Amino acid sequence: MNPGYRKERIDRGIKVRSDDVFVLASMRDLLYVVLPRALVIILLLIFPAFQDILGSYWQNVMLSTMVIALLALSWDLLAGIGLVSLGQSLFFGMGGYLAGYLSFTFGWGPLYTLPVATVGGALLSTLTLYPILRLRGIYFGMITFAVPLLLSRVIEVTKILGGTEGMSSLPSFPNTGFELYLVMAVLFVTVYAYRMLVGTDYGLVFNAIRDNDRAVVAAGYDIQWYKAQGVFIAALPACFAGAFMTHHFQFVGMPAFALDYSILPLTSVVIGGVGTFFGAVLGSFVLVPLSELLREFGSLRVVVYSLMLLVFTIGLPEGIFRFVLRKYHQFERLVPMEEASNE
Amino acid sequence: MKKRIPVLVALFLSLSLLVSLAGCGQPAQSTAQNKIVLGVPTALGTVEGKDSLNSVNMAVDEINAAGGVEVGGKKYQLSVVSIDTREAEAGIPVNDALTAVDKLISQNKPNAIVVGAFRSEVLLASMDLVAKYKIPYITSIGMAPDYEKKIGENYDKYKYFFRMGLNSTYLVDYLNKTTGYIGKNFNFNKVYFMYQDVAWAKGTAAGVAAWAKSNGWTIVGQDSYPTGASDFSSSLAKAKAGGAQLIVPIFDMPQAGVLVKQAKSMQVPALLEGFISPVSAGNAWTTFNGEIDGFVNFVYEAGPIPLKNIPKSAAYNDAYAKKYGEDARVKLAGHGPGPAYDSVYVLVDAIKRANSLDSGNIVSALEKTDYDGVIGHIKFSKNHQVIYGENAKETASGLAFQWRAGKRVVVFPADAAESQIQLPQQ
Amino acid sequence: MVANLLIYGLVNSVVLMLTALGFSLTFGLSGVANFAHGGLYLLAGFLAWIFINSFGLPAALGMILAVIVVGILGALIYRFILMPVRGIVLSEVISTFAVGVAILEFFRWKGFVTYDFSLPVLVQGSVKISGVSIDYQRLLIIAIGLALALLLWFFTHHTRIGLALRGMSQDEYTALSVGIESDWAGMLSLALGAGLAGVAAVVILPLGIISINMGYDVLLIALAVTVLGGLESTTGLVVGSFFVGYAMVITSTYLGPQWGEVVYLGAIVLVLAVKPSGLFGKSKELEERV
Repeated sequence: MNPGYRKERIDRGIKVRSDDVFVLASMRDLLYVVLPRALVIILLLIFPAFQDILGSYWQNVMLSTMVIALLALSWDLLAGIGLVSLGQSLFFGMGGYLAGYLSFTFGWGPLYTLPVATVGGALLSTLTLYPILRLRGIYFGMITFAVPLLLSRVIEVTKILGGTEGMSSLPSFPNTGFELYLVMAVLFVTVYAYRMLVGTDYGLVFNAIRDNDRAVVAAGYDIQWYKAQGVFIAALPACFAGAFMTHHFQFVGMPAFALDYSILPLTSVVIGGVGTFFGAVLGSFVLVPLSELLREFGSLRVVVYSLMLLVFTIGLPEGIFRFVLRKYHQFERLVPMEEASNE
Repeated sequence: MKKRIPVLVALFLSLSLLVSLAGCGQPAQSTAQNKIVLGVPTALGTVEGKDSLNSVNMAVDEINAAGGVEVGGKKYQLSVVSIDTREAEAGIPVNDALTAVDKLISQNKPNAIVVGAFRSEVLLASMDLVAKYKIPYITSIGMAPDYEKKIGENYDKYKYFFRMGLNSTYLVDYLNKTTGYIGKNFNFNKVYFMYQDVAWAKGTAAGVAAWAKSNGWTIVGQDSYPTGASDFSSSLAKAKAGGAQLIVPIFDMPQAGVLVKQAKSMQVPALLEGFISPVSAGNAWTTFNGEIDGFVNFVYEAGPIPLKNIPKSAAYNDAYAKKYGEDARVKLAGHGPGPAYDSVYVLVDAIKRANSLDSGNIVSALEKTDYDGVIGHIKFSKNHQVIYGENAKETASGLAFQWRAGKRVVVFPADAAESQIQLPQQ
Repeated sequence: MVANLLIYGLVNSVVLMLTALGFSLTFGLSGVANFAHGGLYLLAGFLAWIFINSFGLPAALGMILAVIVVGILGALIYRFILMPVRGIVLSEVISTFAVGVAILEFFRWKGFVTYDFSLPVLVQGSVKISGVSIDYQRLLIIAIGLALALLLWFFTHHTRIGLALRGMSQDEYTALSVGIESDWAGMLSLALGAGLAGVAAVVILPLGIISINMGYDVLLIALAVTVLGGLESTTGLVVGSFFVGYAMVITSTYLGPQWGEVVYLGAIVLVLAVKPSGLFGKSKELEERV
């Protein structure tokens, strides 16, 4: 690099003008703001229309992508409260097993099990994690890493809830198109709701707990109670994902607590960027299809995505989303450096 | 400069993603006109899966070398596509394996599937998926008897499914016969069961245990081990303390080889009889430093050991050694390779007789199969299970051998046996 | 039966302790929770196997070489992976975990999954102790395990380097001000931890076969045992491993073998929920919870 120059990043004029949506001056400004969002939404919405071209395989990939995206969103919210989870599969499994149990024992259809398992699973997960919410940092991570594994072992040895064989032949959804739109709707709602949430005063408390929990305690908040609420809210989409997959596969079993459901969301967020929610979604839309493309290589794909995790953690900690966002909003140029002695 | 690297890496990754996406948009289908594609979705990381795929490839190469298959006046060559479902690994969700199967079918459009699922759980779960595509499916590893039950209950939907390999029901029969022999000849009546916590092993152990109970055996204990367990000392200690004379281990995970080593080091005096995949290979004697003397191990289907009553099994072994090396032949898995090899021939035979590539016609031709293969004489039952028995002239056959002074001595069935089961010298 | 329980419980406990030793040491000395522990453990096993079977080295030499290579790799992991993210606990955990998974799955992909992969025992044969036969390899494990634990305790409490390292983990800034170099300490602690994982691998693995899934189990066991005893205390580690070790043997004998895993996972959850600093940990009492 030329030592006489430095790189300068400047906001594009259009970004400065259109930063506040109330002063959109032209169609171009409007497009600048709306187009990226609209494009993504439209692309997603018309995706199911291509089912004849893509075949059921890519539809399933799309489904699992969105399911991982839901788990990643949930992870991102938890991280926003300072709770770093290494066990998203806990929520996934809770929702999945609850839906499976209700449907297996009482013969309920997805219409009833989905809402009940979403809310009930989130409640159960919150209750399970409540005693350990005081833990910070790595200790919380370790315990969430162990809990899903413990639960699946308990199911294995006690043979409750179907034991190793799980519960199968559960009712499914009418068709794949419906499934796609259902998950998509939940995905949109979750992203929107979470983005709104962190902007409110209520959401600010969450971020404050992450930044300095003792200060929040000193300000007179019961952070234990706030954390519990946060876990509940974060568990909702993840439990829905679990319940949904139970009906999609018409089966629920110990693999619902598999490590995959913990690592993939985490990797997605790390790739996409922590704390933006869009990043979590973007990350899973990169990661899951990529890992599908690598499926032929068997375990190699796990190697690839662990290496991606590594590269992004170390090399691009801001994640793809912030990176792309910066490129969209700013341009870079080289400017001559002033002499150091002048300062 | 330092800041550049992550950006470059990210760029590289996204580029490679795009490239591979573009590449995968159009699966190679240009030569579909003169190819019969066989799909092999299974756990390729296991010995059973790998050896089965090798056997399929071998059969395909042989058929292609002999000029391929003629259907309706047109010559077809066979080709094989495989995908690793990784289903044998602990913690791989069943649905992940199903996604792999779906990928194989929707992208490569195979005319038939051979070998099939490794785990019974996956086998049963994939039936609905494959039934949608209406492709003949000849499985040879998964063993759950529910497979035939499903076929019987809903023939129209599941008529595309066949099983060339042994199922747990037949395995239980075999084990009962040898166990009965051991009980009668050595006056044994105390048995201990150790099995892997997966559907087929549990079912097999339960079946043998029920038989043992009603035939005067005392069951000292029954323990199930999670897939991947590698310490068996607690059960062995209990077996020893309870005076068990026979231990029946049923495992298909590589870790289970430890069991034999541990039994030796703890000096458990019982005879071991059952199935442990690592012990069935021909090089197990050296792998385990000779600590497996006296172990009676089943080979589910004839194939990996040349049998005197099945001429084709010797030819198969020679061909395998020639293609993959003697080392690989010696290590042939005790479950899967023989029926995988025969599946290809049986399928081709059915295609020729049907003179059509329509799956419905192939299925009806398959049902009329009457073929002498590596595993014995092949005939499908009403519910599409190959009939197993002890006479290889009439039915397909499994076998049991005993490790004796570094050699695998065939002891079952009587037609193929070189010797009887003996107690190891203590 | 009781003698059997006592002796095999002891073996199991020492195996657990050896397995966890490296993890505990690294955490105690530099505060890095090395989630690549399981990967390094198996890497040592496979390297030893490759040295012995492909290069034809004598067993003992191959094993020592494997331990050294893995130790060096530990230092490299610190230098190139941990240093850029040092201090961000989450990134440390994620990146070491990624390294571990990458190692394990790489070997799986390369087909290191069959039963061919087993290490030779260093000493053949077995003896009978009060009616229970036990092989020399297990006795060797007990000896090495106890010796290493003693040695480490001595190293961390009575040598200059050890004290310097512990100072680093207790208060980084104060340690820096008395002239202890942080990155040097970190590299050393990772190298030692990885080396110990290697030692554990080459003495424990000859008992069975080298299987990939064991890598994940090793990490969990290390977590359980260290968490139980207190994340940075050597005494805690010993007590923790004996507690878990005997609990595992007793439950698997009386309840069934599949309970073994429930015991140590349950131990992690319970201890972290009730007393996260473990039974013997003190120094981090204030930091881990609010």
